[in-house]
Parts: sequence; structure tokens; C-alpha cells
Amino acid sequence: MTEEKKPEERKKRRTATEAASKIGAMSKAMTLGVAQAKEEGKPIAYTFICCCYDEIIRAMDIVPHWVENYAGICGAKRDAQRFLERAGAESFSRSLCTYVLCGLGFDAWREELGAMPPDPPWGGQVKPDMMLGSGQILCDPRNKWFQAAQHYMPDVPVYEIGLPWPPYEYDYDYRQVQDYYVKYIAEQLRGLVVFLEKQTGKKMDWERLSELVDLTDRTWNLIWETYELRRAVPCPMGTGDAMNTMVPIVFMMATQQAYDFFRELNEELKRKIANKEGEIPDEKYRLIWGGGLPSWFALTDFNYFNSKGAVFPVETTYRMVEAIYNFDIDLTKVSDPLEHIAWRWLKYWTCWYDKARKRPGSHPDVERLIQYIEDYKIDGIVMHEAFSCRTWHVGLIWQLNLLKKVYKDMPSLILESDIVDISSYNEADTRARIDAFIDTLEAVKSKKR
Amino acid sequence: MKSQYFAGVDIGSTMTKVVIMNRAILASVIGPTGPEHRKLANRVMEEALTRASLSFDDITYVVATGYGRINVPFADKQITEISCHARGVSYLLPEVRTVIDIGGQDCKGIKLSNGRVVDFVMNDRCAAGTGRFLEVTAEGLGVKLDDMGRLSLGAKNRVEIGSTCTVFAAQEVVSKLSEGVPLPDIIAGLHEAIATRIYGMVRRLKIEREVALTGGGAKNIGLVRALEAKLGYPVLVPPEPLLTGAIGAALLGKDIVKKAAESGVPLPRSERRLTEATIFT
Repeated sequence: MTEEKKPEERKKRRTATEAASKIGAMSKAMTLGVAQAKEEGKPIAYTFICCCYDEIIRAMDIVPHWVENYAGICGAKRDAQRFLERAGAESFSRSLCTYVLCGLGFDAWREELGAMPPDPPWGGQVKPDMMLGSGQILCDPRNKWFQAAQHYMPDVPVYEIGLPWPPYEYDYDYRQVQDYYVKYIAEQLRGLVVFLEKQTGKKMDWERLSELVDLTDRTWNLIWETYELRRAVPCPMGTGDAMNTMVPIVFMMATQQAYDFFRELNEELKRKIANKEGEIPDEKYRLIWGGGLPSWFALTDFNYFNSKGAVFPVETTYRMVEAIYNFDIDLTKVSDPLEHIAWRWLKYWTCWYDKARKRPGSHPDVERLIQYIEDYKIDGIVMHEAFSCRTWHVGLIWQLNLLKKVYKDMPSLILESDIVDISSYNEADTRARIDAFIDTLEAVKSKKR
Repeated sequence: MKSQYFAGVDIGSTMTKVVIMNRAILASVIGPTGPEHRKLANRVMEEALTRASLSFDDITYVVATGYGRINVPFADKQITEISCHARGVSYLLPEVRTVIDIGGQDCKGIKLSNGRVVDFVMNDRCAAGTGRFLEVTAEGLGVKLDDMGRLSLGAKNRVEIGSTCTVFAAQEVVSKLSEGVPLPDIIAGLHEAIATRIYGMVRRLKIEREVALTGGGAKNIGLVRALEAKLGYPVLVPPEPLLTGAIGAALLGKDIVKKAAESGVPLPRSERRLTEATIFT
């Protein structure tokens, strides 16, 4: 494909909820809004999801430009290949994360032209005023992405923070070291605030920050309660929709818009449950999306699952919240907003540790799967090995095997493709695997009858 | 009561297989699927009918399977090859708990419990670990595919094939040949390489005895031996390992007809025509 040619967009995925159907427009408005903000002279920052700085940048009126989201948009619109090829031409390894490659390819091209590449999806990836790294155990490329982007934008400063959490040890209570972690994270965030004040020439409004921290807590609780409604049989909303409703979770946190969105979704799900209205009329199999980012260009595969009687009431991917009130710490008593954010972060990542320690040989990631399998009455597990995403790739099969060892054997399906790179995907093969998996689910169900 | 006959049609990437059964197998035919024959699965079916001395109208139910199953105009139903292989192997070798099917363009591992599929894994992404790997390398070596297994048994000092990519492995074997490495040692190295890939994938299932090998790969004695060495025990191979999918398809068709009769629910069937497949993806 030449750089000028654009492929045809694909048929959109059919959504189960009205709320999810609005996400496309919300996401488009958010992305186009960045270009608008740029024109208005507002400060723009390249940002990562799960960054811990949502409230901080919102409090300082910095406009986030979510680079992973933009790569996902290119993938969903089946228009990422030209940017991946551009990154390839710059000699970036194809084994890197394809979000990174898409973003770097776009940056390299835009900076060479001094203008947006031709016909960029949703207005394109705007040149930022700063890049805010957020390296963490979760995703290793995020430590280097913006440093590499600086090759093309040497005038754009990068600020990098680290967001660790205590590793799980079956014979060691992480609480013994949690204070050190919280102190470290809070210091990282304090350094970021200083950097942002310098870049914007504006002082942090600490009262406003505290209000946004509170709003985020309330949004977390609301999201958790809303997703718990999906336990209902029939399930009113599946993972296909959750791959849409992740947008307010990871790109709009600390905004009233995110809170209002989930209030609306909550009401819609309650309505559907009262009317016994499931995602599909005849629900036969309940599945968990047990790990892996989705192929953004192939979300209609969820509809294919639906056509076979399968629904996904729950997923581990992008369920980036827990109920704050279930944590073993009263966050309302933490007065410093940065320490509050640090505690929330730490408790989120460690909240399955105690459960895991109670089951010999288990692990927090596996305990989470087990809890969801039981709470949501799950019949089988689907995972996606996206070849370019080491973060999710590492340990998926191990988790599956451990689950079967410490809990019970159950049908599982491993899909193989990528998040953005469509050349890794074969629809016929994928659907043949899904067909075979459905046969397996049916065979196991028949055996139980 | 009129006799009932059931046909299973397995359209794989390389071969098309048809089996006609009533209480036992009455006829079976294996024909090529290759580019010219893709749409001519009906010819293989006609040949099977001739051998069974039946007409197409005599067939009560036809089940298609394999990667080409979707476009079989003379099938009543399509069922995945995983289910069909499982059913076929359980019929032929009831003691089997794990099936390894090595096809022309994919490889599957199937875990069985009481004849039912409880788990499976597939490699359909990469030619390494499939029959295509051996096809390509056999061509590079100038050896007939059917002779690969026998030749490898004469290996004295098996070579290590470093390339996991089929294309590069084909180049590597040619260079080994030019270095004067004996042919049996190279072929044994190829079998070891493919067995390593297959074993690595199927291990995800927690392999349990007995293990059956099916598909074209099971006809290669060198590959069978290499896999047995990995497993540490002998495997079972059906008399005609290419036919298990088609046999399973026919048996599943029989099951469907029986279930419909017992429940009084009309038989689910399509309007079938014994004609060429017009669209073949």
C-alpha cells in the first residue's frame, strides 16, 4: 500500500447498549478537540493511560493527547499500516509495540512534512508542547516511547515518572513495604507538578486538584458498581461494548463527562435487567475475556461470538478500577491529594494479593479470574495474544495453566493477532477457532447435563 | 425401513476426503484439493458414491468439515474439524485422550474426555509445524514427500536445523546438502524441528495418554518417531490417518439424524446440490 492510499473503513460493530453506541462520537470529539485546543494555544501533552496524572493535568488545564488511543483509532479504522510502514522505514523493529510504531511513524511523517500526513484519521496526532511518560511494571515500551519521539521533536520536553507497586510474594505481606512505595510515587507526582508549573507558567490549584481526586474516587465506585450489574443473566452488556466504554475510564477520568457517562450506563443496564433484556436473545455460553488487548480492527468478532450464543459479561482488560470503599484503607482520611492518588494506585494493584495468599500456589492475576468466573457464572475463557504487546503476552498461558491447576479445568481459547497491525489477522482462521471453541463449550455443557 | 447412509466430506488445504457410512465405512476417497481441484469436491463425492454403489439421493445426511467446509453446496451441515476429528478418533481408537492432527496448513491438538472435546489448540499462523514445512523443504532437497519418513530412519548423525521459519529452513537444508551432509541426517533434523514446534504447542493441553496422530503428518514415520521421542512413549496412528475428520463428520451426521428422530424435531437440513463449489475462500 502506498502512503497516500487509504483502505476502506470496515463495518462498525453492533453495540448492545445505547451508551456504548455514543462512544464513537465522544472519542472523535475528544480527538478533534485536541487539534482545536492547539489552535487556541492551550498546552497539549502526549499522555499514556493508567498514568496516575489524570487529575493533575486536568487541574492544570493541560489537554491530554492519548497516544495509545490514537494508534487504536488508526487500527480500528484500518488505517494504521501506512504509519507502521513509516516507522519500519525509520528502522524501528517490527517486534516493538505497534501502538508505539504507529505513533512514531505518524510523528516522523508529520515532522518531515511540517504538516499532518494526508487525510489523517480524526484530525491526526497533533504536535504536543510536552510529553509525559509514565513508565510502570505494566508496560515497558512506555519508558522509551517519548524519548524516541524526541528524535523528531527535539524541542518538545519529556517528563518521565515511574509508578511501581510491590511485587506479589506468597509468603510476604506487601503492607510491610507499602509506605515506601506510596512515598516514592507521591514524590514522582510532586516532581511532575513542578515540571508542569514550569512549562505552563501556572501554579497548581491544590483545592481544585482535591476536588478532581474526589470526583475520580466517585467515578471509580460508580464504574465498579455499573460493571457489577453485568453479572445478571441474561447479560445486558458484553466485552465488545466494554471495549467502547473503556474510553471514559482511561481517557476521560477526572472529568464530569466520565462520571455522567457511567451514571447513564448504570441506569440503562438497570433498565435492561428489569426487562430481562440481554445482549442477545438466546444466551447459551457466558465467557470471560481473560486477558489481552483486543484487535481494534476486528471488534466485530464479538458480534460473531454473539451469533453463536456467546456473551462476555466480564473482562480483565481495561477494567482499571475497583470500588474504593472495598480497599483496606480509608482514602477519605488521606488529605494530601498526591498521596491519595499514590494510595489508590497501590491498592488497585495489590487488591488481589490477600486472596491469592489464601490459595496455595495461586497468584493475584489468577485469583481475579477465579473471582470473576464465579461471580459472573462463566463457562469458558478467551484470551488474545497480541504479538506486539509483551505486557499482556507475558504470562497469559501461564495464568491459564495455573488457573486450571489451582481451580478447575475449563474450555479456553487463545486468539492470536495484534492490536493495530492488521497483517497479523486472518478472519477466516479466527472464526474457525471460535467455531471450534463453541463446539467445545457445547460438548462440555452436554456432558454436565 | 429404508437403509440410512451418511457422508462426511473433509476439505483440507491439500486433500479432500469423503467417507460414506451406514453401520460401517462403505467407501472412502481421498483426492487433491490443490488450486485446480478446489471447486471440484463434488467429483470426490461422486467417486465415493460410485464405490459405494449409491446415488446421491440415497445419502440421508451430509456433513462437511475442514477449512473449505463453508462452501460445499451438497452438505446439509458444516461442523468444525476439531469436533469431527474428535468424533472420528474416538470411533476408531476409543482409548485416545489427546489427538495431534498435522495437516497441510495447520496443526491441531485436541483433548478428549469420553469422546468429547474438552480443549484444543491450533497453529494456523505459521507454516512451521505443519505439513507445508515438509513440502517446501522436500522440494528444496529434491525428495518426494512420501519418501521423507523412510529416508530419515537411516540417519546416523541428525543435524540441527536452526531456522524456525519455513522459508529460511528450506535455504538452510540446501546449504547443508551442498556441504555434503547426508540426506537422511538433514531430513531427520527437519523432523526434529517440526516435532519440537508441534510438541511445544500441544503441551499447552496437558497431554494425556493415549495420544493419536492424524492428518498427513501421521503418514510420515520419521515425524511419528520424532514426536514419540518427545512424548516418551508410542503414539497410535489410525489405519488411514487422513480420514478421521471425514469419518467423524459422517458419524456426527448420523448422531444428528438419530437425535432428530428421537426428539421428533424435523431434521435441520439445507437444500443440497451435488455441484461444484462456486465460491471458495
